[in-house]
Amino acid sequence: MKRNHKSKVINNIKIAKGTYKLSIQSDIEKVKAGQFLSILCNNKTLRRPFSISGYENGIIEILYKLKGEGTEFITNLKPDDDIEFLAPLGNGFDVKNVQNALLIGAGIGIAPVLFLKKVLSEKNIKNYLITGFKSEQEKIEGSDKTIIGGSVLDNIDELINEIKPDMIYSCGPSIVLKKISDTGIKHKIKTQIAMEKVMACSIGVCRGCTIELKDGTNKTVCKDGPVFMGDEILWRI
Amino acid sequence: MADLSVNLNGFKLKTPIMTASGTFGYADEFEDFTDMSKIGAIVTKAISIEPKKGNAGDRIFEYKNYGMINRIGLENIGIKEFVSKKLPLLKQKNIDFVMNLAGNTVEDYVNCAKIAEENDIKAIEVNVSCPNVKSGCLEFGTDPVSLENLTSKIRKVYKNFLIVKLTPNTSNIEALAKSAENGGADCISAINTLRGLGVKLDITPFGIKKTFVRGGLSGKCIKPVALYMVQNIKQVVKIPVIGIGGISSLEDVLEFLAIGADAVQIGTENFTNPDITEKITTELDEFIIKNNFESLDKLKEELRK
Repeated sequence: MKRNHKSKVINNIKIAKGTYKLSIQSDIEKVKAGQFLSILCNNKTLRRPFSISGYENGIIEILYKLKGEGTEFITNLKPDDDIEFLAPLGNGFDVKNVQNALLIGAGIGIAPVLFLKKVLSEKNIKNYLITGFKSEQEKIEGSDKTIIGGSVLDNIDELINEIKPDMIYSCGPSIVLKKISDTGIKHKIKTQIAMEKVMACSIGVCRGCTIELKDGTNKTVCKDGPVFMGDEILWRI
Repeated sequence: MADLSVNLNGFKLKTPIMTASGTFGYADEFEDFTDMSKIGAIVTKAISIEPKKGNAGDRIFEYKNYGMINRIGLENIGIKEFVSKKLPLLKQKNIDFVMNLAGNTVEDYVNCAKIAEENDIKAIEVNVSCPNVKSGCLEFGTDPVSLENLTSKIRKVYKNFLIVKLTPNTSNIEALAKSAENGGADCISAINTLRGLGVKLDITPFGIKKTFVRGGLSGKCIKPVALYMVQNIKQVVKIPVIGIGGISSLEDVLEFLAIGADAVQIGTENFTNPDITEKITTELDEFIIKNNFESLDKLKEELRK
C-alpha cells in the first residue's frame, strides 16, 4: 500500500497554550501507537514528523507545539484544506505480552502515549499514564496523573513500587528519556522509548536521524525506530 | 507515451531523470512511495569497501525551503553487504541502477570497482568529492592530476559504464572534467554538494544556545551554481554530462537540458516529495506530446537551437 497521502484537514484546534490538535482524513487502515506521520510544509525543504496521538476509522490525530516555521505553516491549516503527508511511518510500541504498563509523557511527548493508553485500555491491559507540563496553561488532558511545574521523574521510584509495571513506555525530551531508561534498568523493568530527532527523508534512506545502540550499530529513528528498548540505547547526553 | 530514452555513450536509460546518490537509499525503501519503473536509473547511496558508521552528532540542517546541509559522513553498509543483500533485490526487481562508490585511497576505489566488475554491475558513479589521498591531504576531486590517475586506475579494472561525479568546491571544474575524460570516464555527473555552514541561535532566558552544522549544501538554492558548472563542463568535454543540483520541477529539468545536460539527477527533493521523479517524468512526457516534439531527442534539439 502506498504511504504518501493527499487528503483534507478535518480540524485544527488550539487545545492548550501554544499547543494544537490536528485531525486529518485518510484512507489508512491500520496505525500502531508510537508510529508517526510527516507533513509537507510548503515553506520548508523537509517534512515535519509528528507522533500520532489518535486514530479511528481513518481519522488521524496529532498534537503539536507551535515552535517554528514548519509548525507555523501547520497552524494555519483550516478545515477542508489540502494536506500532504507520509504515514504510517516507523515501528510503533510493542504491546505483546504486556500486562501492566506504566506510561510516561513529558510535555508534548504525551502524544504517542495517549494513543497507546487507548490501545491498551481497549485490550483490557492495565495501564497508568503520568504526564508533566511546565504550566497549567500547557496541560493536555487524558492522563491518570498530571504534574505541573515539576518533573514526571520526581516520585518515579515510589510510583513504580506501587504500580509494579512489567513495561514502561515513554516519550519526551531526551534528557528525561535517558533518566527513565536508567530507572527501568535500576528496577529491572524493560522500557520502550519513543525517540525524536531531526529527520530529512523520514523513510530510512538518508541516515540523517541515526542514534547509536550499545551493540555498536547505528539505527535510524525514522525507520528502525522511533521506538527503541531503553536499555539498548547508547545515550550521548 | 513519447520516446524519453537516452543513450549515454552506450548506457541506455528509459528516461533522462535519475535519482541522486544518498537521496534514494538502495531503492527498495521507496517502493511504498513511488513507481520505480518510471525512474531512468537510481544511483545508490555511496558504497565503500568497508562499512562506515558516519559522523556523530547532528547530521541535518534545514535552510528554510532553499535547501539543506548534511554531514552524514558516507554511512553505508559496505560493498560486501551491498553485493550479498541489496544487489539481488535490485536485480530481482529489475531496477535500473548505478552503484555510487567512495573511498579513502586509490586502492579502496579500485577494489570496489573490481567487485562491481565481478558482479556485472552495469554502471558505477565515482564519488570524488571529499576523500583524502594516502600520500597527503589532496582531494582527488580537486586536483586534476590525482583525478586523472584515479580514473585511469578504475578504468583498468572496470569495463562497464564509468561515471565520475565532480565536486563544485573547486576553482577549476573544467580541468577536472578534462581529467576525468582523459582518465577514461564514459560520463561526468555534476555537481555534488557545496560546502556550507548552518548556524542556529536559540535565544533563551538562560543564554544563547548555538548549533553549528558544517557539511554539504544541497537543494533548490544550489541550482544556479550547478547550471553554471554543467554548462562549463559541456564546453570542454565530449563525453555526456549528467546535471545535478537543486532540481525540483519540470522547468528545472528543461533548464539543464537546454544548457546541454544529457540527463539529470534529482537529489534533495526526494526527501520533500518521494514521488517527485515519477511526477516530473510524467510531466515531461506530457510536455513533449503536447508540444509535438515526439521524442526527448527532438525536445533537446529545440531547447538548444
